[in-house]
Amino acid sequence: MKLYDFELSGNCYKIRMFLNILGINYDRHPIDFFPGNEHKGPEFLAINPLGQLPVLVDGTFQIRDAQAILSYLAAKYDDGGTWYPTSDPERLGEVNQWMAFGDMITGTASAARLHDGLSYTQIDVKAARAGAHRLFRILDEHLWFAEREGRSWICKGDTPTIADIACFPYIMLALEGGVSLQDYPAIRRWTDRVKRIPGFTVMSGIFSAGAGVEAA
Amino acid sequence: MIETKLKWHPIAASDDLAPRHVFDAQLLGQEIAAWRADDGFANVWENRCLHRGVRLTIGINDGNELKCQYHGWRYSNRSANCTYIPAHPADAPARTVCNRKYTTREKYGLVWTAIETSGDVPEISLLAGVPSAPLRAMPINSTADLVEEMLSAAVFESAEDNRWSEMSVETDPSGAITFTGSSDKHLVFFLQPLDSERTIIRGVATGIGDDDIAGLRHLNQCLTTLRAAIEARAAQQDRVDPMQPVYTQVEADLATMPDRGEGSVNGIRVRVASKTMTANDVARFEFVGLTGSLPTGQAGAHIDVHLPNGLIRQYSLTNGPAETDSYIIGVKREPNSTGGSECLHDTVREGDILLVSVPRNNFPLRRDAVRSVFVAGGIGITPLLSMAKTLENQRLNYELHYFVRDDDHVAFADKINALTGKITLHKGLSPEDTGKALHRIYNGPQNANHTYICGPGPMLNAAREAASHCGWDDGAVHFEYFKNTNEIDDSSSFEIALARSGQTLQVKSGETVLDVLRANGVSIASSCSQGACGTCKVAVIEGDVDHQDVHLTDSEKRASAYIMTCVSRAKSDRLVLDI
Repeated sequence: MKLYDFELSGNCYKIRMFLNILGINYDRHPIDFFPGNEHKGPEFLAINPLGQLPVLVDGTFQIRDAQAILSYLAAKYDDGGTWYPTSDPERLGEVNQWMAFGDMITGTASAARLHDGLSYTQIDVKAARAGAHRLFRILDEHLWFAEREGRSWICKGDTPTIADIACFPYIMLALEGGVSLQDYPAIRRWTDRVKRIPGFTVMSGIFSAGAGVEAA
Repeated sequence: MIETKLKWHPIAASDDLAPRHVFDAQLLGQEIAAWRADDGFANVWENRCLHRGVRLTIGINDGNELKCQYHGWRYSNRSANCTYIPAHPADAPARTVCNRKYTTREKYGLVWTAIETSGDVPEISLLAGVPSAPLRAMPINSTADLVEEMLSAAVFESAEDNRWSEMSVETDPSGAITFTGSSDKHLVFFLQPLDSERTIIRGVATGIGDDDIAGLRHLNQCLTTLRAAIEARAAQQDRVDPMQPVYTQVEADLATMPDRGEGSVNGIRVRVASKTMTANDVARFEFVGLTGSLPTGQAGAHIDVHLPNGLIRQYSLTNGPAETDSYIIGVKREPNSTGGSECLHDTVREGDILLVSVPRNNFPLRRDAVRSVFVAGGIGITPLLSMAKTLENQRLNYELHYFVRDDDHVAFADKINALTGKITLHKGLSPEDTGKALHRIYNGPQNANHTYICGPGPMLNAAREAASHCGWDDGAVHFEYFKNTNEIDDSSSFEIALARSGQTLQVKSGETVLDVLRANGVSIASSCSQGACGTCKVAVIEGDVDHQDVHLTDSEKRASAYIMTCVSRAKSDRLVLDI
């Protein structure tokens, strides 16, 4: 299995993390996203005409789009079938709903981070930050009531799904785009829970949370 | 009006402080890290590590200590004292390295604090003695004044839920906004000004349980609607400059190395909370502070205890990192007591008030060893118990060997049984068998192994010899004697030059270096006055030291880089000291 990857990309990181959670070995093919702009070069555009990372190659099958890759990996390699509950229509719909939400987080919080950190000066950073806050208010309320109802994860059920993985990276990296999580305590507690999923990995700017009480 | 630093404000709901979590808060511009320890205590601290200013909200709450993510400095529950600096694994952090902490209360299901404490959390009669549920906090991009104005006019009834209809609104003298209903359904709102243009509404509802999800959702929806209206108006207002939080400057020497200078001139008054026998001839004392919290003793630390008969004695703390609200010591009744242990055993009782020093650590524990070997003889278990618990908390490997006469002489058995590391009791061994056992323990030294020895002199000497014989490096063998049994020869006379202050002084026979320094106005901390504890250690720049202490290792003595000023002297005519 081969992953076209950029170390500082949250969308690539979510695939790396999920591969690690599933215990899958893979090869990394680094793309010089910044400053080389290699993802917009002819060689990579031949692989993904959208010029976006990540892209996964599994044998002869090739797939782009972080959320699509997560669903492919979960459906194929998660023996327990918990990460992407294809046999439970309601939960499956929920997972897809929140994966789309994860895409909106990429469009806002990640855009603000690209502006602040990687010199994407053409981005309207005020709009990007405002958009991220609008999403985070929705997710924080959702997770606060989830806690009241005894749930730990974004979607219903006792186990995390790929919706948690899809939303996690650019929430954790939001401060790098000037979006503080201070107003979202339920989101911050949920990020601790994600960090305690067995197989969780880190990237630059995302740290581990230490052991939880159960494991202590 | 609302924005007074003296006033108490809620900064979180009690259940916001989840176990092993660090909560991100702000009050009046000041950034705050709040975390609940495993003992339930809510710590509310300034959100920055003293070392490089990194936010503690990205740190790790291990249940007893908060670890900074950047360089791993650790801070203790309750006291906020720094307990460990990985870059200086062999040194004890100065006790003055302490995070700024804010006074904290928990009331109405909320965590309260004040930047500068005065008075107490407001008493709200509507909330007195009735069950209540905190609402979901509502952060709003607006000044507190506008939030207060519009909140006072808010309505909390709807077609779906009319439990909060016909309410009368008042602003309490404390600033709380109360909505009194006709039945038992009341709402009380407190404002938390994060900054000049950011405010959180923290509501508390009576008459509903915190499992009334429908009610909580309804009130949350009302507040969400209110927020939209407030923010729409706030956007039309003139911008206000952010508040300027006041950060106390960290003293330069605080962030560097341990202090050796100050003595325990000002002690701490403690009450004897309990006195029990924990083994044959060993009394366990628990001291609690008269004014609440106590400075945290690091693993290996001791305190001076000022006794009613005027004597001062040193005792190691047994406290593990979780035990931060009292000092627990063990005192063995010495058959030849010169008045110290006898007084504690026979005279001091529960409820008595004693003066103790701040904890001082001359027996620091490294937390970077692959294997740590603790060897205790008799009452020497006390500092090693504290060390074992510290490593256990961090899930680091250790083994504890406890040499005792018999089961009746096992002190702190409950604490030892609670340890999960490798514990070996060596009971009733002859000196010869003790030596053999020690050789087995120290056989095969490896890199990154450290040993810590505490016990009676002969046993401690035997352990050091065994470690040395087995090839252990001097620097890996750490020890603490109870007392110095060497006969002190104070017949020499010599000159001491103080390099920093430029003084030259004469030490005559019969005087100690410490006496002469103090007589000339140089402040040096000392504790045991017999060359055992290491408190009065001073660096030597030049000269040959006549070491008479039992604190320094043999290689340290050969290097002559330090002198214990209470007993040691000069072989040369002159010593140059780094003070």
